Amino acid sequence: MASDATAPTVPPVRSLIGVIAEQRFLSSSMIRIDLDLEGDASYAPGQFCMINLVGGAALSLSRPLSILAANGTRLSLLYKIVGVGTRLLADALPGRKVRVLTPLGTPFPARNNERPRLLLAGGVGLPPLVSWAQRYGDPADLFCFGARDGADAPWELLPSPWHVSVDRSREIPDGREAHRGTVLDLALDCLTGRTETFEVLACGPRPLLQAAAEFAHQRGWLCHVSVEERMGCGYGVCRGCVVPTIGDIGWRLACQDGPVLPAADLDWKSFGMAPASEEGSR
Amino acid sequence: MLRPDWLTIDPAGPVTIGPRTLPGRIWTASGCFGYGLQGHDILGADGNSVLNGLGAVVTKTVTQNPRAGNPPPRIWDAGAGALNSIGLENVGLERFLEDVVPRLHAMGIPFVVSLAGTRPDEFGVMTRRLAFVAGSLPEWHGVELNLSCPNVAEGGVDFGRDPDMVRACTEAAAAHVTDRMLLAKLTPNSARIAPLAKAAANGGAHGITAINTLVGMDIDLMTGQPVLPRRRGGYSGPAILPVALAKVDEIVQETGLPVVGVGGIRSAGDALKFFAVGAVAVQIGTAQMDDPFTASRTAAELGWRSPDIRNQ
Repeated sequence: MASDATAPTVPPVRSLIGVIAEQRFLSSSMIRIDLDLEGDASYAPGQFCMINLVGGAALSLSRPLSILAANGTRLSLLYKIVGVGTRLLADALPGRKVRVLTPLGTPFPARNNERPRLLLAGGVGLPPLVSWAQRYGDPADLFCFGARDGADAPWELLPSPWHVSVDRSREIPDGREAHRGTVLDLALDCLTGRTETFEVLACGPRPLLQAAAEFAHQRGWLCHVSVEERMGCGYGVCRGCVVPTIGDIGWRLACQDGPVLPAADLDWKSFGMAPASEEGSR
Repeated sequence: MLRPDWLTIDPAGPVTIGPRTLPGRIWTASGCFGYGLQGHDILGADGNSVLNGLGAVVTKTVTQNPRAGNPPPRIWDAGAGALNSIGLENVGLERFLEDVVPRLHAMGIPFVVSLAGTRPDEFGVMTRRLAFVAGSLPEWHGVELNLSCPNVAEGGVDFGRDPDMVRACTEAAAAHVTDRMLLAKLTPNSARIAPLAKAAANGGAHGITAINTLVGMDIDLMTGQPVLPRRRGGYSGPAILPVALAKVDEIVQETGLPVVGVGGIRSAGDALKFFAVGAVAVQIGTAQMDDPFTASRTAAELGWRSPDIRNQ
């Protein structure tokens, strides 16, 4: 797809040692981890980092985690416990040393035109879009997030104007509303009465990405998705995280060419069918 | 910690294997550092480079024709090590010579080219072509024959377990690398590795790289299915270090050939264990994926540990 999107300036990749400042559950499944690094933590929304513990029990391979925010040398990530790696990370106490390779990958395109954006986030795919909304968000944009239920949604990251959808409408906090259904149902509802051409940014489980791509395609809208793959290295050397693309390009790497890719470039027929990865938020 | 008394080589010094002297004994292993072109822009905390102190980058394995590799998922952390099933994805020899080699030369990166083939004559054809194109480049130090990839249907482990085949492949390549180092990278997936090492030496190899990955497998308990689409893959990382040491020891004890040790090295201490059993150089693989500075840090630490030799 010809895209007039421009990538924001990406800070240089750094290998940094840091310590865990705090870990806190923001929902029944999502943990925010704050790290104090020995150097600059800046990034562009949509980028990720590879993280491993240093000393004592460490993982054979670092894990890719989405960047939620950065402030000076403070780096904040959001993840979900899905396997031994994230379990080990969740058990690590404040003060524990970590090593991160950050920031990695191709971010979401910066805002470069007047078109409103439709942000579609699912589950732990939220951080890149929260971070995009904070940096580039506009009152005309629509922010939609989907969770399993109210307990699964990290409400403090979802102030108005974020709209929330849930599969089951239990445990919705007082004063908040949640649409019953998928995040695409929610988006359709929010789009009622809107006649502009939107651009879609999506991050979440593979079925959500595929639905977002179809949704945009039917309307002739540009769409960028952030893909989630198992990674070995995060910096392009192992070729473990391939995603199928159409035409002559063949495989592209989630870690370098992505994680954010134009939805129209992906070979959804094979990508949509392949089993989704279950560990890491990328 | 000072240099151990038992150490008879300078771990931070150059190493001569066959007709070639390489600038260092710490190399990166094939398949774990791409073609050596990535990672240079990564900033270390103290401004160091991922290439500082390295003796060579062994490239990702190159085959005659481009290969798409295996379907994802291709990589899995199996606890004490990593399972992979990349399937020798690569750009093919011609594009490698056209795009990659000139860049390695321009960047001054010492490199060894890993080659894989499905028949002995293919190793000969590829080596001849490589020597023709790269023969005048000082950065090109030699060839490592990958006789041991577990993730391909043809030309992989089974093929590398047959001493006659190992000898034939080595012979085919040896004819074309008279002034460069020729290494044979062998599989640990055989009861005995020394006979394979002897076969490679008889075919003209100057040294042996040991070991490639162990065949391994893991099951996803959510589905009861293998985690890799091809079921079994290559197991690497810290868990295989004792296996690698035993195989290196077997080769050194029984053949006396120069051995480049590889398998599970994450630190200077790990590298010293390989030097203790007689390896002349070591390669860092899986740990390089986890931290791109592992090899350069290991080289720096070994330099620091042997000031007496370095100052001579």
